[in-house]
Amino acid sequence: MRLVGCILLLAAALAGALVANLPSPLAVSPATAADHVPGEALGTESDSDLWRRVRQGESFTLSDPRLGAGVLVQSEGEEWRSIRNGPVSWYGGILVLVGLGATVLFALLRGQVKIEGGRSGRRIPRFTMAERSIHWFVAAVFILLAGSGLIILFGRYVILPVIGPTAFGAVASAAMQGHNLFGPLFIFGILAMLAVYAVDNIFQAADAKWIIKGGSLFGAHAPSWKYNFGEKTYFWLVVFTGLVLSATGILMEFPTLTETLQYLQLANILHGIAAVLVIALAVGHIYLGSIGVEGALEGMTAGTVDENWAREHHDLWAEDVLREIAEREKTGAGIRAPGAAE
Amino acid sequence: MILVEIIEGPLWYIAAAVFVLGALWRIIGILRLGRRTDLSVPRSAALPGALKALFRHMLPHYGFFNRTKLHVFAGYLFHLGLFAVLFFAAPHITFLEKRVLGFGWEAMPRWAFIVAAQAAFAGLILLWFRRIADPTMRQISDADDHIGSWLTFIAMLTGCLALQESNVSLRALHMLAVEVWLIYFPFSRLMHAFTFVLSRGYTGIVYGRRGITP
Repeated sequence: MRLVGCILLLAAALAGALVANLPSPLAVSPATAADHVPGEALGTESDSDLWRRVRQGESFTLSDPRLGAGVLVQSEGEEWRSIRNGPVSWYGGILVLVGLGATVLFALLRGQVKIEGGRSGRRIPRFTMAERSIHWFVAAVFILLAGSGLIILFGRYVILPVIGPTAFGAVASAAMQGHNLFGPLFIFGILAMLAVYAVDNIFQAADAKWIIKGGSLFGAHAPSWKYNFGEKTYFWLVVFTGLVLSATGILMEFPTLTETLQYLQLANILHGIAAVLVIALAVGHIYLGSIGVEGALEGMTAGTVDENWAREHHDLWAEDVLREIAEREKTGAGIRAPGAAE
Repeated sequence: MILVEIIEGPLWYIAAAVFVLGALWRIIGILRLGRRTDLSVPRSAALPGALKALFRHMLPHYGFFNRTKLHVFAGYLFHLGLFAVLFFAAPHITFLEKRVLGFGWEAMPRWAFIVAAQAAFAGLILLWFRRIADPTMRQISDADDHIGSWLTFIAMLTGCLALQESNVSLRALHMLAVEVWLIYFPFSRLMHAFTFVLSRGYTGIVYGRRGITP
């Protein structure tokens, strides 16, 4: 019994000593007493609480302001990433494919829109050298931007699995550099295009008749001035998306213009949406302007179109031009040689 | 990796040698043609006529300006942009210093480099369009003109794609494009970069002796 009593006393003494050395649950640790030191497991708050606050984008007071912003994790970035890599990529990809598919379907169903009366052999001026220069300048820059932009947006899903991460790293870097370089040229191009083309693209009363007839693409020819309703709509959509792309592009290329990161994220999302929209539209424009409509491309390459083409597709404009030509011939004022430099 | 080493090593030296020797061969060939003996009494000195022609032809005759304004604008945009990028971009100066000349000079800031590259691209696109759209230009252009334009465009484009300077293969791609351009250069109209001095000078000498400002 004495032995048992001695052991119990010894155990009680040891337990007392141990308990005496344990910090009290209510006591404040020396480290956290002066200030709330993050990461102190036994401090006033646990690690998980602290990191949750960091993760949720709470702003902290840093010991040295030179260390940077007090927000350690910009939590909205995750939302931006999930939107950019989620709906924007997914629905954007579908939109581009729909644009491509609709164009192919139209080409299969309608075929090339021919000049019904055949070629007259008489040419009338349609686009000046300035109009054509701006068009092809924007077209060239657009192709470079669209190509590099599609790589940036969809490359990780389409190209990466095929060529692997190392090669894709080079491709993505090249696409980003090219995109950033050509972007400002597009801004100049879109503004020049707006200045030169806007007047003839203002909606007119004749456009209503064109809408009622469903345009000339489904068989019957509809009245039109220099541009029909479809072309005018395309023009304004390109201008609108072009301006959105320009504004958001400037923000992304010069991120110091805004101190709010959310604006950059919003700009990135809007840039992606506007880009896929204009690319999907451009597929149809490229088809109709090249092989889709017989004789249309000549206007943008040579500057002139066949008289019958003009009468069938842009009758109101053609009458105007032919009247002007007749008057000039009568007065001997002369007509500028087609395709001549300005 | 072996391909990169070839592009940045032996192929570079071959291309540089072809460029230098080829250009010299062409220039010496032109100089050796000499000029016909002019037996007339000179009304004015030949050399001032040559210098006058060299600089006065940098602007079009006022009577033609309206017809050539696109050409003049795009031409200067491209050539000045390319000149600035070629000789004042930091990576080019570093390359020339380490691999060719042994000395360097002050590089332009990055923003100026970007602006110069954009000007060069804008000018090149406009000149290319003029070549295919203007009826006269279309008639007088042949394959050499188009190949020269495209090789220049590709060399510039690959350079800009490698702007991040973080990828060896992109740099090698740019060097390969430049090497092809250098090899093609002496045997094409790209030689106008050197021969414009000779052709303008010749015209200036001939007309200068007659006392006419060319």
